[in-house]
Amino acid sequence: MSKIYRLTRAVLFVGLISVSAFAAKPTLTIYTYDSFASDWGPGPKVKTAFEKQCSCILNLVGLEDGVSLLNRLKLEGKNTRADLVLGIDTNLTADARATGLFEPHGMQAKNLSLPQNWNDDTFLPYDYGYFAFVYNKELLKNPPTSLKQLVEDPAAPNILVQDPRTSTPGLGLLLWVKKVYGDEADAAWKKLSRRIVTVSKGWSEAYGLFLKGEAPMVLSYTTSPAYHIIAEQDQRFAAARFSEGHYQQTEVAGLVSVSKLPALGRQFLAFMLSAEFQNIIPTTNWMYPAALDRAELPEAFNGLIDPSPALLFSDTEIAENRKRWVNEWLEVMSD
Amino acid sequence: MKPSRFAYPVLGILALFVLLPMAGLVAVGSFGADPAELAFWQSKYIRRVLVFSLWQALLSSFLSVFLALLVARALAHRGDFMLRNLLLKFFGLPLVVPSVVAVMGIVSVYGSGGWIPLGSKLYGLNGILLAHLFFNLPLAVRLLLPVWQSIPAQQWQMGGQLGFTGWQQWRFLEWPALRESLPGVALLVFMLCLTSFAVVLTLGGGPRSTTLEVAIYQSLRFDFDPPRAVVLALLQLSLCALVAWISSRFQRLPAVEITLSNATLRTSGQLLNTSIIVIAAVFVGMPLLAMMIDAVNGPLLQVLSNIKLWQSAAFTLLIGLSAATLSVFAGWLLLTTSTDLSLLGQTRKAGWIELAGSIVYVVPPLVIGTGLFVLIAPWVDVFEWAVPIVILINAMMGLPFVIRSLGPSMRQGKMRYHRLCQSLSLTSWNRFRVVDWPLLRKPAGLSAALVAALAMGDLGVIALFGTPDTTTLPLLLYHQLSAYLIPQAAVTAAFLLFFCLLVFWSLETIIGGKSRAQD
Repeated sequence: MSKIYRLTRAVLFVGLISVSAFAAKPTLTIYTYDSFASDWGPGPKVKTAFEKQCSCILNLVGLEDGVSLLNRLKLEGKNTRADLVLGIDTNLTADARATGLFEPHGMQAKNLSLPQNWNDDTFLPYDYGYFAFVYNKELLKNPPTSLKQLVEDPAAPNILVQDPRTSTPGLGLLLWVKKVYGDEADAAWKKLSRRIVTVSKGWSEAYGLFLKGEAPMVLSYTTSPAYHIIAEQDQRFAAARFSEGHYQQTEVAGLVSVSKLPALGRQFLAFMLSAEFQNIIPTTNWMYPAALDRAELPEAFNGLIDPSPALLFSDTEIAENRKRWVNEWLEVMSD
Repeated sequence: MKPSRFAYPVLGILALFVLLPMAGLVAVGSFGADPAELAFWQSKYIRRVLVFSLWQALLSSFLSVFLALLVARALAHRGDFMLRNLLLKFFGLPLVVPSVVAVMGIVSVYGSGGWIPLGSKLYGLNGILLAHLFFNLPLAVRLLLPVWQSIPAQQWQMGGQLGFTGWQQWRFLEWPALRESLPGVALLVFMLCLTSFAVVLTLGGGPRSTTLEVAIYQSLRFDFDPPRAVVLALLQLSLCALVAWISSRFQRLPAVEITLSNATLRTSGQLLNTSIIVIAAVFVGMPLLAMMIDAVNGPLLQVLSNIKLWQSAAFTLLIGLSAATLSVFAGWLLLTTSTDLSLLGQTRKAGWIELAGSIVYVVPPLVIGTGLFVLIAPWVDVFEWAVPIVILINAMMGLPFVIRSLGPSMRQGKMRYHRLCQSLSLTSWNRFRVVDWPLLRKPAGLSAALVAALAMGDLGVIALFGTPDTTTLPLLLYHQLSAYLIPQAAVTAAFLLFFCLLVFWSLETIIGGKSRAQD
């Protein structure tokens, strides 16, 4: 018995030593979405850059998407291993705040390059983008110039969109139409539905179908053509500028309140808004960095359409209405 | 004879792994909006979803099984021909194609720029049926084909002496033999179609084509309302149990002891048989070929030289083989009891055991996975448990395939040899080695191959846990897709297909042994 006791103690002791050896280099765990953490996303570069300055290990855990990030956090509650969450958008921030699992960042959010002022004391933005219909310039000579034209012109092209129940861009279009049409959104969807070839589960399916030529236009981002220009030297793709403006998506990060490394977490948030991180974003996440001067963007970004005015609902408006709006959409689209 | 009791612990574990997670989810409660406000609308929505799920699944499975009967019969009557084995191996492939890739393949063939352009008619029921046929027709052929082999040679000879026409052959020899397997195969295909998600949503043209599976996903993901997800999952389970009960009414177990057939059928109408086989091969082959063409046009070397691809392949293989081993073993345990029972005439009880083993398939992995997560997260580091859980869930999802392909052979083996073994006092290991194994290795090989392929093509479960370092091939493929790397993803998809084909072929050959007569 005592032998076992001594043995256990020895093992525990060795264990403690190794733990404290690791403790010299704390691990900062960040929950993010898959395409951020994957080899082709910003993840690997962000990890290398931050580890150089923090003497810590950055552990990026990739989950399916922004929604599953928040759900994971809700499921784990106070037992979560996350120190930070990076990758939910402003459609979810009200919901996220309501979980009570985040704490104020306590930082000055200045030098941001967002089209709006930033007043959120819990979440900080790292990038943003605008939804837009992307098309092939060689195949579609006269794209619609407004959402109204897309909806009402009988000669407008067919489109591929995503489902707001399963996809972020899908929800973006729903909000876009709501912003432009208000109470008349249902009627607009009814007209638009004739032009919709299919409503896909996620962005990948719709974009893949678009590249296969299933429809002349697909719902994506204003920055999508930049990918084709920079990574594929392919100039054929463009986003259609709509005169009403484009719906904006802003992606944010927040500190988890139960984190044992709040100082390191704040260090990461500061790093996130620094030029080093911000410069990684455009050509890996294919979005606009949230705190970088326009002049520092890759050249292809300057040739993109001007999406102003940026259309946006507040996060509380979305939290209050999202379910109802999605249900209304379902009603119209299922008839 | 006392029936084996092996099935009960397995069923207990299954129940534990289905019911406990659900309970865990219900306990989480809802963070969502006021449910009362949505109640009326919800029920209307759910009604519509229910009707559509059932309708598309019934139609898809009826078509798949009906056409599979034609193809399997043609293959059985056509006898051996060159490429027959290869054809059958590649009939195992559609099962592993991740749905997004299958959608792209189907669109390459039938889309507006495709080889057989259907234009906008593709989106809607047509697209759903085409995709479901692509997935399920070859599977059903593989599962039904062994039935022809189980028809005793003497019966064929007698039919020949009596001058049976093709119709009489069907009516008196083939149909009675099929009645054992057919309801089970139909049920399996029904379950696969019922739980179809991305295919139905994307090719279905819009929210009119919403299955229960989508509603469950929506509840658990976008609305984060776990209790509602559980209610919907239970609804799906009961729906499936109902269909299973109805289909079991049509099942007839062969009453007489039968001997193994080694006869190669030679019947008239070979031209028709050949045409049917060619059409089926072309139908299944076209989307696969389209995927290959996309891959060849993609950056082959760049993708294949990425070390991550090979790491993922190794990890995928580990998951596939472990799930297959576990699943075949568990399925075998279940079947020892159910076949004993049916030998004793308790066919209804036997049927329920097999059903209970199969039906776990329709509980969405998202529900089981999330529920398990809720249960274990407070106690252990989930990330360390991700791999065993993924294997376990995949093994569960594979059970219906094992039961379908192994079940009939086990039952027939017992019926034929049980008394012989008793009179020879051949028991346990010796009996297994001398009697059971030679009979079972073929279907066991097919089962293992199917489950491994299924697990290797799975995305749902692994994506749930969020693995920081290791990814599976389907997950890698999704990463590429969401990073605009669509040409690269095409190469990865083709690689996944070839890899699965290799594993499928190896498992069937190693476990199943060299081909005895026909399949």
